[in-house]
Amino acid sequence: MIVTRSWLNEWIDLNGITTEEIAKVFNSIGLEVDRLHEYRVPKKIIFGKVLECEKHPDADKLNVCQVDIGSSIRQIVCGASNVRAGLTVAVAVVGAQMPGGLAIKPVKLRGVDSDGMICSAGELGLADTGKGILEIDSSIGEIKLGDEVATNNFFNDDLIEIELTANRGDCLSIRGVARDLSAAFDRPIKEYIVTDNDDKRGIGRVLNLSHEKDLDVNLNYKALDLKGLVIPTIVKLRLAQIEESRESDIENMLLYITQSTGVILRAYDHSFFCSDDEKMAKVILCENEDGFACIKGKNSASIVGIVQDDASKVQESECTILLEASYIPPEIISRKMSETKIESGPMFYKTSRGSEPELDAGLSYCIDMIEAHSASKTYSGKIELTNSSVEKIVIVTKQEIDEIIGAKIDKFVVANILKNLGFDTSKSSTDNFVITVPQFRHDIVNKQDIVEEIVRMVGIDNIPSKPFILTEDNRLEDNYFEYKKRSIFRHRGANNGFYESVHFVFDEKKTLNSYGFATTKEELELLNPIVQTLDTLRPTLLTGLLKAASQNVKNGYSSVRLFEIGSVFTPEREESYNMAFIFSGDKENENLANAGKPAKVDFAYFVQKISDVIGAVTLREFKTSHTLSHDYQSAEVLMNDTVVGELFRVHPNVEKEYDLDVTFMCELDFSKIPYALKIAQKTSKYQASFKDLSLVMPKEMSYEKVKNVIQNTDITNLVRFYPVDKYSDEALAENMSLSVRFVLQSTEKTLEEEDITSAMDSILEALKSELGIGLR
Amino acid sequence: LKEWYDKINDATTVETLEEIRISIFGKKGVLAAEFAKMKGLSGPEKGKLAKELNTHKSALMNEFTAKKITLQTEALREAMKAEAIDVSMFSTSPQSGALHPVMETMDRIVEYFSSMNFAVKTGQIVEDDFNNFEALNLPKYHPARDMQDTFYFKDEMMLRTHTSPVQIRTMMSTKPPIRMIAPGAVFRRDYDLTHTPMFHQVEGLLVDKEGTVSFANLKFILEDFLRYMFGEVEVRFRPSFFPFTEPSAEVDISCVFCKGEGCRVCSHTGWLEVLGCGIVDPNVFEAVNYKDVSGYAFGLGVERFAMLIHQIGDLRSLFEGDIKLLEQFQ
Repeated sequence: MIVTRSWLNEWIDLNGITTEEIAKVFNSIGLEVDRLHEYRVPKKIIFGKVLECEKHPDADKLNVCQVDIGSSIRQIVCGASNVRAGLTVAVAVVGAQMPGGLAIKPVKLRGVDSDGMICSAGELGLADTGKGILEIDSSIGEIKLGDEVATNNFFNDDLIEIELTANRGDCLSIRGVARDLSAAFDRPIKEYIVTDNDDKRGIGRVLNLSHEKDLDVNLNYKALDLKGLVIPTIVKLRLAQIEESRESDIENMLLYITQSTGVILRAYDHSFFCSDDEKMAKVILCENEDGFACIKGKNSASIVGIVQDDASKVQESECTILLEASYIPPEIISRKMSETKIESGPMFYKTSRGSEPELDAGLSYCIDMIEAHSASKTYSGKIELTNSSVEKIVIVTKQEIDEIIGAKIDKFVVANILKNLGFDTSKSSTDNFVITVPQFRHDIVNKQDIVEEIVRMVGIDNIPSKPFILTEDNRLEDNYFEYKKRSIFRHRGANNGFYESVHFVFDEKKTLNSYGFATTKEELELLNPIVQTLDTLRPTLLTGLLKAASQNVKNGYSSVRLFEIGSVFTPEREESYNMAFIFSGDKENENLANAGKPAKVDFAYFVQKISDVIGAVTLREFKTSHTLSHDYQSAEVLMNDTVVGELFRVHPNVEKEYDLDVTFMCELDFSKIPYALKIAQKTSKYQASFKDLSLVMPKEMSYEKVKNVIQNTDITNLVRFYPVDKYSDEALAENMSLSVRFVLQSTEKTLEEEDITSAMDSILEALKSELGIGLR
Repeated sequence: LKEWYDKINDATTVETLEEIRISIFGKKGVLAAEFAKMKGLSGPEKGKLAKELNTHKSALMNEFTAKKITLQTEALREAMKAEAIDVSMFSTSPQSGALHPVMETMDRIVEYFSSMNFAVKTGQIVEDDFNNFEALNLPKYHPARDMQDTFYFKDEMMLRTHTSPVQIRTMMSTKPPIRMIAPGAVFRRDYDLTHTPMFHQVEGLLVDKEGTVSFANLKFILEDFLRYMFGEVEVRFRPSFFPFTEPSAEVDISCVFCKGEGCRVCSHTGWLEVLGCGIVDPNVFEAVNYKDVSGYAFGLGVERFAMLIHQIGDLRSLFEGDIKLLEQFQ
């Protein structure tokens, strides 16, 4: 909503208040200031009058004008198409410095002397009123030729653009904004005096209004014979300031009045409603097939508050017209519109947010403006159709107001604020405010709405802060522990070399499906994705990490280590948290220690990193359900004998597709990562013994089998065992040698050589009998 | 014996010094030879020589020990010198990763409110109309729904447009009093330089007996919270409108870049908008069937906080796993 100081001043006396103060007050009463602009016409630009205007002898498009500038008459050559004798204009005289940088000097234009410049609004640094020079009339007040334009407050004006919240339709007019200022500054608002003319021709002769159904609509009509309407300077200037315009002069006039008063106005061609050869317009309010309130004659003329049919608009500049002011409650119009979407006109925004219900004032203002700037004749009287609205009353006590605000607010302050905002509090008793809410404040329905009005006007900054006194309670619950768990594993990820990343939960269905991921079921799918490449919910974190890794490689990083903990979705759209990792390229950054040639990440290194983050893991051979993984380097990850996720080298084709060096990934079901408090085992005081066995076994035999056999021997003092070396050569042919290290330790004694030997013997025996393998 | 003092002094290595020691103090050393001379003497002469020799012996020993320390020290120094490195070549940065600035900011926010005895509630991303809109005083035709362009699913579910539905779900399942925050991802159909379709919010809710929770309480906690997050800043409340609170306010802090002087970031206003808040609208309590209660609520965008605190210019880079950005947070 754009307002200007001079325009506001028509509704409230702002004398003695600076524009900065107004802007500050706007912010503090909830009308957020978006933009502040000062129009300042430079010096040496003065009012003048074109006395004579003749064609330039040597240039088709130029005119030679004699301009009266009060003190003298100057000859000025002007190229504007609208320059003519009799016009009052703004003249930049010699010595003026134009806002665009031009300095005015005496010049010869095609051999003719020109002593100054006749200016357009744009040249003056004002809002651009369109083609040609600015035509000045009495609408900007009395002027004296030779006076500086800058002394006129309609030109030297201040513009404030405010951002209105969705509930404040009442502030979509200058009058509405002035009403809020009236409460803030405690100055009265200037009401428009409604008058009627005494034309002998009453409106009843040309208009018959009827309705087919009781609808929640207020209508008010005036009729007039339109003739010679000229849009005054002030209207042109202000419409340019608010950056709006309509097709015809009459429409522009109505736009201006609506902007000023908030009343929704339409102009109809009278003949549209008349049968052949008749002078009586038959206007009918009805409900159309979609349930909208409509105005019709023989045909549909408009939908109230939404749009006007072109056929009913005023096309001629001289004809009989009907002026309509209308009000329809915004909640009705927006509900209707959300049920059945139809095309809407430029006024819909205002009507759906709440327009001004005081139709008389708007219509009267409109007639007065048209009469003042045309030779039109208005029919006396008006014809209206009013749906009696129920009075809305809110009762609130002084104590309730104080409790919600948390400070004591003086009773008289409250009453005065409400009065200035247009509320009627006359029915109030000592402790109860009984408040009648004006119709234009459809947003006020309960106590708290009233308190908000008080808070706005008192100013939140004037309310002292006060801590809330609470009852202690243990509020550390499951959700907190889940948050904490994520936080802990995020820290561990970062501490072990991975950068945390966050991606959108959206991904591309086509790509995901092509890798074999099942995506959201068709009937549960996103209806309105923002772009094609983000058209489904992600079932995995892997693709996001791959893309990010690829981009980082393009940015010149040869070691990319990322992780993410985030939501993923099943085809049934069930949400859960996953944790995923990607490790691509070099193990570490280049430095002196690795002579600038860090080794590439390998399976063992990656698994170690993952384990550093999440804890001890066991890997099992596994085929992933998707095709991102290497056929022979993929594993199921187990922790405490439970499967928690998968880990794999990225398939060479995928590495190539994403321009990645050797890359490993891991994705885990975050809820399955163990997070219980640890229970300490009893530790042994006696020394541990280490023993290595080098087993010869077929290359294709899985270590898993060896492990299971050893575990099943159940040897009492075997604490742990793990492979430490793998070897193969020609002599071993299809076999390989695998060295396994055994750690034996007793809680009762230091183990003797024979204890160890007997343990090793039982292991070897089991391996021999069950797998047919033995020592090298 | 005099010459041996010089020999000790002239020794240049620990090894030659050791040889000298043997020559002096060894079984066949000069001292032994001198002492042997006593055999042929007797009486006071013998005593005199013995005394003289013993004086020499301890003097030489002292001399030797001192020299030995000097030489050893020197030798160690030489050995260390051989191990000299140019430390300036070893300036380095960590090989560790880093937390994401948005998540780290969220952690700080959660930390503050946890310490203020707020519970943490997370909720779900896919929501229904009741929890996301209806119960929050946003009926279907409400113009404020336009403010939040929504992602819908084919079955009329939606991605939550704010974390407020978590508050509704909490109130529906718990009796008052309530003191909670809801951190999490939210979604709006907006994608340009300053909007991403996903971002993060933290919302807070306090509900207690009717007449106990006031706007003054809300002011207190938010002022304190904002100073915890941003340091010593000015805090300003501006009345505003949210369907689920009444009275409502937007909260500004003095610009952290220009200290309120006016700059590009604050559009020359000196203020940065960082929060929305208000007293819970009675319609919200009605929707969750709460009676005789009062409460306040607030909400903030985590990305905005992170960008202001860490002076990050590009919103979209936050969602690209961009190491250029992330490595700065090691």
